[in-house]
Amino acid sequence: MTVALVLLTLLVGAWLLAVIEAWLTTGRLRPVAPLLAGLSHLGRESILARKPDRLFFETAPVLLLVVAVLGAAVLPLAPDLVIADLATGALFLNAVLAYVLVSLIMAGWGPNGAYAMVGGWRFLGQLIAYSMLIVMPITATAMRAESLLNSAIVESQAGLWNIVYQPLGFVLFFIAAIALAFRSPFDLPTAPGELAGGVDAEYTGVRLAVLRLARLVMVITLSAATTVFFLGGWQGPLLPPWAWSLIKTLAVAVSMLLVGFYLPRIREADLLGWCWKLGIPLALLNILIVGLLILVVP
Amino acid sequence: MSATQQYSLLLGLALGVLGTVLSLYGLARSLGATRQEPGKDVPASAGVLSRDPVWGRYHARYYGYALLFLAFDMEMAYMYPWAVVFKEVGLVALLDMGVFLAILFLGLLYGWSQGALRRQ
Amino acid sequence: MSEAATTLAGARKGRPSILRRWVGQALARNLSCLVVPGPEVALAHGLDLAAADMRIAATPRDATVLLIVGELSQKLDEATAVLYAQMPRPRAILVLGGSAPSSLPQADVSADLSQTELMEAATRLQRLLAEGAFAASPDDFDSSILQTKTEYVCPMHPEVVEDEPGSCPKCGMDLVAREAGGDSDAGEHDENRGHEHHEHHHDHKHESEGHDHHHAHHNDHGQSHERHHGHHQNHKHAHDHEQHQGDDDHEHAHCHEHEDHQGQDHGHQQEPAQEQSGTEYICPMHPEVVRSEPGRCPKCGMDLEPHKPGEDESVKEDVSEHDHEHHHDHSGHDHDGHDHSDHDHDHDHDHDHDHDHDHDSSGFMSMVEVTKDLPRSADGLAMDWLEVPFGPCFPGLPGGLKLTLTLDGDGVTEGQATSLVAMNTSSEEVAVETFIERLAAAMPLAPVSYRLLACRAIEQAAGLEPDPAVERGRAAALERERIASHLGWLAQLGRQLSFVWLTRRAAALQLETQRADREQLVALRPALQSLIARLEHTPLLKARLKGIGALPHGSQDLRGTVARASGRTEDARQADAMYRELGFEMRAESAGDAWARLRQRHVEIMTSLDLVEVAGDPELPKLRAIDNPSGTGEATVETPRGRATLRLTQERGQVVSVELDSACSQHIGLVADLVEGQELGDALVAVGSLDLSPWEVTS
Repeated sequence: MTVALVLLTLLVGAWLLAVIEAWLTTGRLRPVAPLLAGLSHLGRESILARKPDRLFFETAPVLLLVVAVLGAAVLPLAPDLVIADLATGALFLNAVLAYVLVSLIMAGWGPNGAYAMVGGWRFLGQLIAYSMLIVMPITATAMRAESLLNSAIVESQAGLWNIVYQPLGFVLFFIAAIALAFRSPFDLPTAPGELAGGVDAEYTGVRLAVLRLARLVMVITLSAATTVFFLGGWQGPLLPPWAWSLIKTLAVAVSMLLVGFYLPRIREADLLGWCWKLGIPLALLNILIVGLLILVVP
Repeated sequence: MSATQQYSLLLGLALGVLGTVLSLYGLARSLGATRQEPGKDVPASAGVLSRDPVWGRYHARYYGYALLFLAFDMEMAYMYPWAVVFKEVGLVALLDMGVFLAILFLGLLYGWSQGALRRQ
Repeated sequence: MSEAATTLAGARKGRPSILRRWVGQALARNLSCLVVPGPEVALAHGLDLAAADMRIAATPRDATVLLIVGELSQKLDEATAVLYAQMPRPRAILVLGGSAPSSLPQADVSADLSQTELMEAATRLQRLLAEGAFAASPDDFDSSILQTKTEYVCPMHPEVVEDEPGSCPKCGMDLVAREAGGDSDAGEHDENRGHEHHEHHHDHKHESEGHDHHHAHHNDHGQSHERHHGHHQNHKHAHDHEQHQGDDDHEHAHCHEHEDHQGQDHGHQQEPAQEQSGTEYICPMHPEVVRSEPGRCPKCGMDLEPHKPGEDESVKEDVSEHDHEHHHDHSGHDHDGHDHSDHDHDHDHDHDHDHDHDHDSSGFMSMVEVTKDLPRSADGLAMDWLEVPFGPCFPGLPGGLKLTLTLDGDGVTEGQATSLVAMNTSSEEVAVETFIERLAAAMPLAPVSYRLLACRAIEQAAGLEPDPAVERGRAAALERERIASHLGWLAQLGRQLSFVWLTRRAAALQLETQRADREQLVALRPALQSLIARLEHTPLLKARLKGIGALPHGSQDLRGTVARASGRTEDARQADAMYRELGFEMRAESAGDAWARLRQRHVEIMTSLDLVEVAGDPELPKLRAIDNPSGTGEATVETPRGRATLRLTQERGQVVSVELDSACSQHIGLVADLVEGQELGDALVAVGSLDLSPWEVTS
């Protein structure tokens, strides 16, 4: 039951995101568009590039989808609406998200095409930039919760949400999450104007459908993670807990789309430079501030 | 739910996703096979038929960052258990990690000063 | 016409079924178009694809419809065939305002170039897709450009290319199979690169097949190294080979002609070393850097080390052919992680050819071994360089511009741009009216400017004095086109940077501007102002453009926005009395980078708007009545991309000779300098910031 509800949430979330994304790009609100797109992908040929690394090529989209679903599986939507509330939930999420890199390198290497390969290796650079900004803010939330249980992290925010308690961590995590989901303005590995699709470039038909679905689910998963770690999870007045989780998750997901809509793609050199010269010192500062707050404010 | 049960559930979920994807592939396959035509399987490159394989030694120009990243990523392994017991241990924990991070941070500054933080 | 057909030429094979019908209907309601030459051309023609419910696809892989706008040149026609071949079925062809390219199947739907026709064609296309996405027996698509032939080459002598397997007439080795492109493609690469050097293919895989090859190689080298300055061995094969043992060797043995030449610099720069005597200074990391005075290496900044060119011949040879020196001295035994480049200049030239055999028999390839002949990056690392095409149909770059970049990682080591749709001015005699129409049609991104240019040149040839009343309307039309063109560039920048908001906003304004009269244009002022104000404060945009695409000092013959953005007072409108009357004042940025070009275009949009406001309603240039239809005339117009000058001679109402000097012909030559050494994204932004129109390049 829980599994079905979580999966349904992911699918509905992905559908909503696709509708909103198409609305932003074309200016038309068409609720059936994502379903039509999915069906057309299903009916189109799925071309296998010549001289590919077939294993990598086939694995990448599936792996990305599995990663996104597993990530969502450890995030609680309500006190008992979670597939697996692992004792090491926050750590598990981190570990799972590392496989996004593996998937993208595979997708880049697999088809033996120049655009895709550059895209895949570029994402490795992107991981080096954003990765610390995912990990360090999560650590700071675990400090406050004294636990890696995701539900404990939500409960620790009962009095004050982490977005207020550690705003610096929230901002860094939010930006890094967009980079992790490689969405504009951090779409370096797929950059249409630089790599004509990059890692996506050689996927067609049903494989492309799976890849696109995985990318949307990934955004939902990361939004749910932002909700759990910084926005107090299911907590809120009046509405039932699951409704709060859904509202917050969708709000974060839509704001991720909007950021991309209004911004040009970042330069690779700037991304790396800013993350390391500004982002990591700030993330460490955030940990220090949280540490002091915990000690000073009982 | 015990940890084993939780992990088997996650494994089952992964396999379930895999199964769903495979059945989608099967459905797509039932609509027909990909027609083999000249040029179709050559990676698309903007209207030029570039047949050359591209695999080779790739110049990852962010290797300076990558080396520092390794140090920081290792450090994170210590951060998680520390974060959980931080409140319990108190100021000592903050100082312990503070010293550790300060050294690491000095390493970052040193790398920066040596030009590691740029495209090579 | 094909409209009668009920299935697509690019249908998938399959009998009707419920699922297939659903798929067809889904495809019909989800049209994703690959626009050839490019979306910017469709926009310049006033086509609003979004209004026709069409989405613009970035690649052929993602497209259902190949949308061809206008007539294509022969070369673009070939590129289109490649794009079509790479689209997954079901795929459809929609041709607007032209005939279907000869290399493609007949168009599924064709229509004229107008928005109403486009909407109507989209409806027909949807019906066709819904019904005809699957067919009982669709034809395969094939074209001469897609053909591959297998040719047989000698691994040692690339000049030996045979159609049949056999042995090399020079060295007797077995020839290896290689896949070659259809007709033009493979040959074109070499021409484009301007290789002066023989390429010497040398493949480790073959070396390991036996010692004889080595002797053959050495003999050859001894005899011919004078000729083969750019002598490079290609280790990429060896590398591939190691990793993919299971793959078909023959396929892998496909030659990398383009990669070899990267090192040709070695050849070039070593030439002085061979001629000089006395102490030289050499970079320990970059042996190709040889200076006559002490100093620092321009590539890595290391101190140069003194080096005494030897007295005997062997030294000279080794300096010039350091690749081989490696090979001789260190191949078999230098596996200790020692920095091998030190050895280049250690002056012990006791090369013992026997070492090669050690290496051969060991069957082990160290990293040093594998990489020793690869091109060196600026940081001294040996990497595989790739020659990657970015065009003629690359999202974010102008369609028809073929940009080829040599990539070292995601850095560009060199690049070159050519136009596949270049204007050919050596045309036959045509009537003046036809000439005007043709010239305007040949420049889809600035038709009004070139119409005006042709009218002025013909009128001048006929000895007609400018009529101020007519000129005002013409100037207004020209300035309106400038606004639209700059907005089109902004939309293109948005596509390049995945800046969706900008693409949508700028494209919408461009469509509104194109046919607006004075009043409507004035009403657009607040919208334009807010777009500009917003762009100047968009986070990341300045960081993205600032310092990118800065022109080298002393760049000659810059024109238009590109010139003005680097502080030059270059504007044909300054010399025009009529513009002075309208109160035209040139304003220029000074930084000369992509950000300055963006701001310069902003300034020019507003200046042009002011001019239109004073000048009155735009009038499309029309040829005035001419009394004397013979003579020679010359006219200059400041087109949206810069000054263009047209010289023509007419006799009895026929244009007999034409000479066009346009801004883009000059600017396309800047590309090589702008991209060299840049990160890929920066290089593409730099090229985009020039606002090249490949049509306005004269061949």
